[in-house]
Amino acid sequence: MRSVARGDLSGMNAIYENRHRPLFRFFFRLTGRQAVAEDLVHEVFVRMIRYRHTYQSDVATPGVFEAWMYRIARNTLADRHRKLRHETTPAEGEMEMIESGRPTPFDVASKRQDLALLYRALRALPEDKREVLVLARFQGLPYEQIGHILGCEANTVKGRVFRAMKELGAIYSDLCKEKAS
Amino acid sequence: MNEPFCSHAKELIAAYWQRDLSAEDSGRLRQHLESCAECSAEMTALGGLWDRLADLPAPEPSQALDMRWQITMDALSSARPAPRAWLLANFWPRNPAWGMAAAAACLVIGVVAGVNVPRQNPEIAKLRDEVASTREMVALSLLQQQSATERLRGVDYTGRLGNMEPAVVSALTQAVSHDSSVNVRLAAIDALTKASGRPEVLQSLTQALASQESPMVQAALIDYLVDARDRQALGTLRQMASQPDLNPAVLERARFAVQQLSR
Repeated sequence: MRSVARGDLSGMNAIYENRHRPLFRFFFRLTGRQAVAEDLVHEVFVRMIRYRHTYQSDVATPGVFEAWMYRIARNTLADRHRKLRHETTPAEGEMEMIESGRPTPFDVASKRQDLALLYRALRALPEDKREVLVLARFQGLPYEQIGHILGCEANTVKGRVFRAMKELGAIYSDLCKEKAS
Repeated sequence: MNEPFCSHAKELIAAYWQRDLSAEDSGRLRQHLESCAECSAEMTALGGLWDRLADLPAPEPSQALDMRWQITMDALSSARPAPRAWLLANFWPRNPAWGMAAAAACLVIGVVAGVNVPRQNPEIAKLRDEVASTREMVALSLLQQQSATERLRGVDYTGRLGNMEPAVVSALTQAVSHDSSVNVRLAAIDALTKASGRPEVLQSLTQALASQESPMVQAALIDYLVDARDRQALGTLRQMASQPDLNPAVLERARFAVQQLSR
């Protein structure tokens, strides 16, 4: 990224190749929509080029690029929310609006009822809690790095992750009871 | 239960799930869990849930994303001039005093220019244009795909374009006339609503109506022409309305359309 920040855009293809899938999953788990997640990924890479001068490389600190990229990603998503404040969020089971010709995550999950319930519980979490869980559990980022992205201490992130898990557990338990009755 | 430690224990539990716990903290957590049934139960129950989250399938982006990115990069690399040596360095005064004077002059010029020149970043404007044209190119590429699902995605992309360029309108009218999938034809008719005032669109769709065999597509085309108040289509519609072997629902719609457009 340092060469890109200096103006050599040829390195962007390698960055895209390595990072577009994790970014897509991040957005997909937050928005639940394939087309929206793809739009957001594209926008993030365009913004990386546009704001490349804001990237401050520091070899001594690992994960600087990830923190920078996810900050752009969060801003991109926040901008989208601002633009589409009145758009409704997809209902449960309404994931993957655009047909991709492949089984959707929801289809696959539906084959195993318990996973389908877990999926629904995750979708039902408030977005800030889902975000911190996605970063920690699905994106596999260390707490220290998530702290840099969210602008807080690593211990605060750990507390938030625990609370998010607790709420997820409560929602999941309710869904299981609902299904059993 | 050691309440003051419980809130810290929750942080340690979260760190344990992430395999991010030091040996010292691990020992403190173990010690606490032995004496606190509540934290211990939470750790077991939520830890199981944490593990099962890994079983949720990972979604994959479609090929359309790669295509968009490639088009964006191609457009950017063809638009950007090759980096050049900094020619100003050759003219910069070697004498520090003159150098400082030159820097001050640059600063003044910069401030005056910054205040007076309209703020417009051509690179940002260009990127914005690139994004718009990228969508158009992706839509057109997808409409040519063999898979009906990909063509449907192409039609979907056209809905996100600000303006319907002639190339897009033409691709959509072609899809209405010739696409092998009824779903793609129906989606293309919907997408063309944004261009319903254009005579060439109405003419193409009237021609398409004459050659359609799917009742659903016929009905959608009739509705489109009625909504657009296209009286030029009356001839085709009258012809349809006089065909007794036509699908009854389409026949009824055609007769209704003739009535509406004859007023």
